[in-house]
Amino acid sequence: MADVQTELRNKTVSDKPSLMNKELDHLQLCQWLTAVATDRDKQAFTRLFQFFAPKILRIAKGKFPNEAQANEVVQETMTNVWRKAHLFDQNKGAVTTWIYTVMRNVTFDMLRKVKSNKEDNLSDDIWPLAESLVTEDEVFVDHIENKKICDVIAVLPENQQQVIKGFYFNEMSQEQLAAHLNVPLGTIKSRLRLALAKLKKQLGESYD
Amino acid sequence: MINHHPKFELIQAYVNGDLPASVSAAIKIHADMCPECQEKILQLTEQVAEISFEKVESDEDMSIELSEQDADMLSQILADAEFLQTDDVVTAEVAERFVMFKGKNYKLPNVLANMEIGGVTNIGKLARSRVLLDEGEIRTSLLHIEPEGSVPQHTHKGFEITLLLDGEFSDKSGTYVKGDFIMLDGQHEHQPVSDNGCLCFTVVNDALHFTQGINKLLNPIGSLIY
Repeated sequence: MADVQTELRNKTVSDKPSLMNKELDHLQLCQWLTAVATDRDKQAFTRLFQFFAPKILRIAKGKFPNEAQANEVVQETMTNVWRKAHLFDQNKGAVTTWIYTVMRNVTFDMLRKVKSNKEDNLSDDIWPLAESLVTEDEVFVDHIENKKICDVIAVLPENQQQVIKGFYFNEMSQEQLAAHLNVPLGTIKSRLRLALAKLKKQLGESYD
Repeated sequence: MINHHPKFELIQAYVNGDLPASVSAAIKIHADMCPECQEKILQLTEQVAEISFEKVESDEDMSIELSEQDADMLSQILADAEFLQTDDVVTAEVAERFVMFKGKNYKLPNVLANMEIGGVTNIGKLARSRVLLDEGEIRTSLLHIEPEGSVPQHTHKGFEITLLLDGEFSDKSGTYVKGDFIMLDGQHEHQPVSDNGCLCFTVVNDALHFTQGINKLLNPIGSLIY
């Protein structure tokens, strides 16, 4: 890695300064990609293509011995850049990071196809192009609070317990619960309402 | 509190896209619950992207004129795009998916939403469904342990990754909680026990090898459990 950087630095010195800034012009790339996303701007897309396609091809040649497959990576990646540009969020990272993700995902799915004959395209699930950030409550489960709530739920009538547990603990939808318990949707809604009212009362009291 | 994380080399290989889908999925599930590793992944991706796209080896890269071949490709993409524009809206939405073990419904992590999952095989207090990824000797499963259930003492010829999706289990090294990423190899020997039950995502690349007493009789079915 150090070697690469030294080499690049030397290059910068010898190259024409106007075109050969070592620093990527992130702002410019961002304007182009945003123009593709919002205005379907073909001119901006052409600029992105000029910038990225040769680099993607070089990287793809390192992964695929076959020239046609390397070209397919370029075509597929740039097509996805056009189709999925609206998933790019400039507040979450640079254009280069996003396009790298698109390229890595295309490469991963293609290699998987070659190796295992699977056409399941899992890459966008593994590395989403629109990344949602971790929400705190998912990570830090409050066990003491959970225990307290469980105690209160335990005194609810059985049918209300079922919907509360299904809805909040197993994250089933109301529709799924209705199907699962074989009762009308309206019944699920009213049981949920009743149970929540009781829980609120119980928990409120124990907090006083 | 999550205490077990994938090691740095593994995260790096994940970012590079060099790991199989099974192992990548395990890391993704962990990262979704672990802000620390998520941050590492973000930084590494930024770095590798920067390096990938800043290398300018020749002036060709920046030339304003496209080669004939490139121009062809570009016009083809744009021509196809005309069709895509109207009827093909790509969204980032992932449908929720659930899996049922012993009457309990579990919501699966998003990364598993589009994977093919086989039927349930029950072995005592253990139940498992294969995740059908077709990765040769690497086998991926959802393993459910009922309360007070355990996997008999065993070691591994290859590696074993366990990602806890729900509940907890313990072995002689300690207790593991939801989100923990546990990777063991042939040097480790353990007997996971779950007091209150748990659901795990497991990836192994060889059969388990049971090491104790009567359980040695289980060796022929070692590949059945995981």
